[in-house]
Amino acid sequence: MIRHLFQRLLVALARFLVVGLATLALIEFSFVVMGDSEHHVWSRGAYGAVPQELAPGSLTWEGLIRARLVATARVLTLVIPSVLLIGYSWGMLGARLRRYRLARLLAMPFAAFACVPGFWFAVLVATYSYFHWQRPGFANDLVVERGPDLLAWWHASVVALPAMAGGAAWQIRAVAAVLERETTRPWVGGFFVAGANDEEIFYGRAIPRAASSLASLLDRPVAAIVGGLVVVESAFRYPGLGSLVVESVRLGSYPGILLAALSLAGVVLVATLLRELISSRE
Amino acid sequence: MINRRPSRWLRHLRLIAIRLWQLRRVLVLVMLYLVLFGWLFSGDRAGDVRPTELYGMRETPRWREPDRDHWCGTAVNGADLFELCRFAMATSVSVAVVAVSAGIVLALLLTMPLVFDPGENRFAWIERVSGAGVILPGMIVMVILAGGGGGGLRLVIPGLAWLVALMLSPLLCRWFREGEDGFEIVAARVLGLSRREIVIGRVLPSVLRRLPGVFAILVPVAMLAEMSLSFLGFTGDRLSVGVMIARGQAYLIEAPWMAIYPGLFATVVVMAFSLLGWRVSAALRTGPLPPLL
Repeated sequence: MIRHLFQRLLVALARFLVVGLATLALIEFSFVVMGDSEHHVWSRGAYGAVPQELAPGSLTWEGLIRARLVATARVLTLVIPSVLLIGYSWGMLGARLRRYRLARLLAMPFAAFACVPGFWFAVLVATYSYFHWQRPGFANDLVVERGPDLLAWWHASVVALPAMAGGAAWQIRAVAAVLERETTRPWVGGFFVAGANDEEIFYGRAIPRAASSLASLLDRPVAAIVGGLVVVESAFRYPGLGSLVVESVRLGSYPGILLAALSLAGVVLVATLLRELISSRE
Repeated sequence: MINRRPSRWLRHLRLIAIRLWQLRRVLVLVMLYLVLFGWLFSGDRAGDVRPTELYGMRETPRWREPDRDHWCGTAVNGADLFELCRFAMATSVSVAVVAVSAGIVLALLLTMPLVFDPGENRFAWIERVSGAGVILPGMIVMVILAGGGGGGLRLVIPGLAWLVALMLSPLLCRWFREGEDGFEIVAARVLGLSRREIVIGRVLPSVLRRLPGVFAILVPVAMLAEMSLSFLGFTGDRLSVGVMIARGQAYLIEAPWMAIYPGLFATVVVMAFSLLGWRVSAALRTGPLPPLL
């Protein structure tokens, strides 16, 4: 078990290195080859202190990434458990009642919400907040100085909602599809003949048999969720890692791009690692 | 009564009619698709519209609130917002269609040479590259690529096409592998058909049949990606719904319709394309695709 864990950790580390190199190559290609920047990724001048526009206070790169990571972690804390909870429970329910095509029906509200451009949703919330609550709506407008920072959770939930919708819709349909495929296998007929009822077959046999396939879906929507955060955070002016990527690209700050992109890739990598460990246990 | 065999032409016509009847659901959806395209691309193109002209600050803005003549109101220079939204959406749809088509072709080009190889691990490197590639989310790649390169469609379209190819290649590998496991393939092998004949005659058609479903599902996703990039200002000085919303934010208090109606328009169009995509995908039994961006 420990050997397997180390093996997976090494693979994850290798992947992280590959992603890091790929990001550097992407920065070089887009900024130097396609753009008009004169700084190569390997030149020392491209890596300086944190630009004033990225951190109004005198923060180091480490401090800036930590602050942004905390903000993004708050959003991910809301999004990922919700997607997994809704995806797996509603997906199973949809597969159980497949004769009524319930999976599609359950996924429909999320899929419809995923059609709304996330950045527009953030602008709408800000507008509504301004006109109806008479307070600035964007996330960077107000800072809570005393007491519990409930406003931070409100901002995080505004960013989390559009990111969650697409992920949940996909997860419901994917879980239902796996279970529906499992329940059409020939062994199901055998259990019927042996006198087992629907529920015994579905909960007692189909779900345990499909467990490894279900576990392999754990990390699939994470990359899309993280990608969605980049746009929504920027639109809502939420100070997370996603908006740091966009701000750094605008300023042409290579360390900002690299650190933010690798931190977000790290989130996806951790999800992949967890999935691999859980799948191998199955 | 004369017992006469139907002519060759009649038999061919009958076969075509049967085939069309089998494809009736897909054909209806294709017709709807074409109607939607036709509506988006109809009307006066209004020349080369630039967002800076439409939303530039003026001393005496000529905007008007939504009324019977202008359903969505007008922009700062007095241009009808509904027509502008239609023009902008037509551009987004074009970008998405070109990028997704190119991505599908690219994925086929990547996987097709390996299909003829009988080895067990022939698709391994594609799956490995794709597995490592998806760790960096697609939207981050697009932001760095389009933002660093100065924006514009010359970067957005190839970037989206590569992402589609990267995501689709392992799926195509899986479909090719599944296609080779069928009973009729075993029968074809027993009958002595060559690998080339089996792949071209049996496996490839079953994979190609699903591709319109993939296209229909991915087009709205690519539309949203293009709009997001234009909202961030990474697609150059070109009219797009994202740019309209981003520029409309400057007038959020005086003229909120400039940021609200383009988004509503985009939502309705994306939803229409998504609904059609789900139906096409269900009719062709494409199955769930992995999330793209």
